[in-house]
Order: sequence, then C-alpha cells, then structure tokens
Amino acid sequence: MNTHDPIVGRYVYVQCEGKTYRTYYEEHGEGIPMVCLHTAGTDGRQYRHQLCDPDISQNFRVIAFDMPWHGKSIPPSDFHLMEDEYKLTTKFYCEFIIAFCRALELRKPVLMGQSMGGNVCLALALRYESEFSAFIALEACDHSPGWWIDPLHHPHIHGGEVVATSVFGLMAPLSPDDYRWETWWYYAQGGPGIFKGDLYFYSVDSDFRDQCQKISGKVPIYFLTGEYDFACTPEMTQRTAEKVKNSECIIFGGGHFPTSEDPAKFKEVITPVLKKILSADPERRGQGSNAFSGRSIPESRSSSRSERPAEGRKVIEF
Amino acid sequence: MSRYGSRSSFDLEWIERWARKVNDDRILPVIGRFFTSKFVLGFDDTEYLVDVRAGKIQKIAQGLTPNDMGVEFWLKAPSSAWSKFSMEVPPPMFNDIWAMAHPLHKQLIIEGNSLPFWQNLRALTRMLSLMRQV
Repeated sequence: MNTHDPIVGRYVYVQCEGKTYRTYYEEHGEGIPMVCLHTAGTDGRQYRHQLCDPDISQNFRVIAFDMPWHGKSIPPSDFHLMEDEYKLTTKFYCEFIIAFCRALELRKPVLMGQSMGGNVCLALALRYESEFSAFIALEACDHSPGWWIDPLHHPHIHGGEVVATSVFGLMAPLSPDDYRWETWWYYAQGGPGIFKGDLYFYSVDSDFRDQCQKISGKVPIYFLTGEYDFACTPEMTQRTAEKVKNSECIIFGGGHFPTSEDPAKFKEVITPVLKKILSADPERRGQGSNAFSGRSIPESRSSSRSERPAEGRKVIEF
Repeated sequence: MSRYGSRSSFDLEWIERWARKVNDDRILPVIGRFFTSKFVLGFDDTEYLVDVRAGKIQKIAQGLTPNDMGVEFWLKAPSSAWSKFSMEVPPPMFNDIWAMAHPLHKQLIIEGNSLPFWQNLRALTRMLSLMRQV
C-alpha cells in the first residue's frame, strides 16, 4: 500500500514591488492559519514534519512557502539582467510576506520563522503588527552580524558544499544524524549566491537593536533558541527578548534549525507555545480533536609508520 | 578520550593518532578526493604541519622549517579551545571550526590563504571532527 504525506503543494502568483512572483507553497491542516518562513538559502521543506503532525494540523492551517529564488519558486524573469548581485532587503522581505498572506486571503495568521525568518518577525512586528495574531521567532535576535561573506558565493568554491557545511555546525551534535544531513542537503540545493544574498538581510540590512523597544506588544512574540546556535546565541536572543514587550524567551537543547534537525525535540518545545496561542484564539481552532495528544514524532532514523628525524624536528610520514 | 574529559597536551603522539584515524577513514577519500594542501594546526604556540594529498595525510611534522614551502593556511586556537572541540560531544560554540572562527566567537584564527580552506571545508570539517575519536 502506498503511503502519502498529507501535504498539498500549489503555486500562487504574488505581486510585490511591481513584479509577479510564481510562488510555491505547501499546506495542511485546518484552523488558525500559521505561515512558516524558511531559513536563508533554503525552502519550505524545513517544515515537513510540522506540516504532517496531526497534533498541529488539527488546530492550525500550516502553510510553508518558498521565497522567490528559493525551492520551487522561480526568480523574476529578468534576473539574468540584474546589475547587482542578489540581495534580500528588509523592505522586500516584509512586503513579500504580507503580499503572500493577502494572496491567500489569510486573516491574522500566526507567523513562525526561523533564523532570518525569525529576525524578520521583529521588522513585521514594527511595521505590520495588525496583520498577525502571534509571532514565533525561532533562532532570532535583533542583530546577527558576520555572515555576509564572499566565500559563500565564489566561482572557485563549490557553492552547495560550502554553504551547507558552513551551517552544519549550527546544529546540535546530538540531533539525529539523518535529519542533520537532510538539512545539509537542503542547503546544498540552493541557487548560486542565494544564501549569501539572504544573509545581506540577516547580517547587514536588518539591525533592530535600537528599534525593538518600539514594538507595541499588542501581538505576542515567542522567542525560541537552541543552545548550539552560534549565529544567534541564547544570550543574543535573551538580550533581544528583554527589550520586546509581551514576549517570552525559551532556550532549549538544540540547534539553529529546530524544525528540521530534530523535529521530536522541537515538538516538545513548541507545543506549550501553540497551546497558548490556541487558548487566546479559541474560536478559530480546528473542528477536529482539540487537545494535543502528546504523540511523538518518530526518531530518525594503519598504514605502516616510517619516522625519520629532519633538522632536529620530529617528522612522521605515512 | 572520555566524553567530558580534558586533555593536558596535544603532543605529536596525539597528532599521529589523529592522522591515523584520518587515513583509516573511508569517507574522506570520497569527499576529499581533490583536497590536496599543506596546512598548519596551531595549539597555543605549538604548530604542526599537515601535508594532505587526495584527502589522506601524507606527513605531519612538529614545527616549520625553511624547507616547508607551499603551506597554504593556518588554523590556530588555544589548546583549551581544541580540547573542547575534540570532546566526544563538544559544547556549544566549540563544536565546529567555523563556529570557533566566526567573528562573534574568534576562538580559532584562520591565517594565510583562506581560499583552499573554504574550497575544502566539507572534507576539512570531517577530517578535524575525527579528533573526537582519538
């Protein structure tokens, strides 16, 4: 008997900054719409476990889309004529997320994003808070420098391998190997220069250190960061959360890609947050069972020695 | 090496044991097929030359001499940082060479020509992770 995931994928045409973007998204579930933002250089597959989790889908309509240039969403048709390298800006990122939500006619969705998708929650909370009912900012902080670097897009360096390996250490060593390497694979499949271009937003164009205090607090923000995240350390998240009104900060034993590197651990830490969101928004929950079952996501799956002294130092040849 | 133990020194004998782990590895010849380079590992003030061809270590040497031409890059860190890096389960911020080298953390310094470092990052990352099995 064949087995299918319950996920359905579609394309929607999104208008943003005068261009039309054929945008791929996947969804499953019913109830409160929850839009999920992938990390830099990858795509919505990072949410495949949450899309399939009946405990989530019975109360949330989970939607994960691929940003333009990512996954199955194509770049603008004239990309080959661009006179500058690809750079994601805060303005475009915010406006595209809003345009996507409007294209799907979503009303006050929950927004969950990780890494750059977490950081942009701060920009959206500042500029578009009335559009959302809650923010879940995974691995997010108000400023994350040090990633907009040339080796990530260089003709003498294999982009897929360097990009994927540069983020491998962001994952916790005890996260399941198969899920860590699946995450590596997502990164290795990114388009040339797209990871680096996203990091223009992440490390250069978004600096909310002097703006976080201005977030009104009308919409709750939940910050969750793994202890192995060396790009956005627990301390960086905690410092940010202290400045943001109506926020909570949760530090857990994981890494930078919680949804894909260790979905079982992520379910443990996100479930209390989702319960809070549900209790604050009871009329929009799904029509099915209304309690988290607590079911867990399945665990993943000498040469001879010749030594000779040379000029007074020890040398070993193999 | 115990999971939470500490190491008093990274001597040549230890480096040799690591090099033999590298040369016994069956994945490195695949992902490191084009990894041919000479680089230096620095532990405090002690330097070890590592001569790699096609993902296998051909030679290690303590210290550099005028005859050591063609060294491309240096990876230098305090031995306290390497001790954490080489634990079976390394602690946060010390579990990866780019994590240690990232401008936020600066535990590891990359000197010389960083191009071959980035070109071979995948193989190099695996090669150095085998320190956890020494």
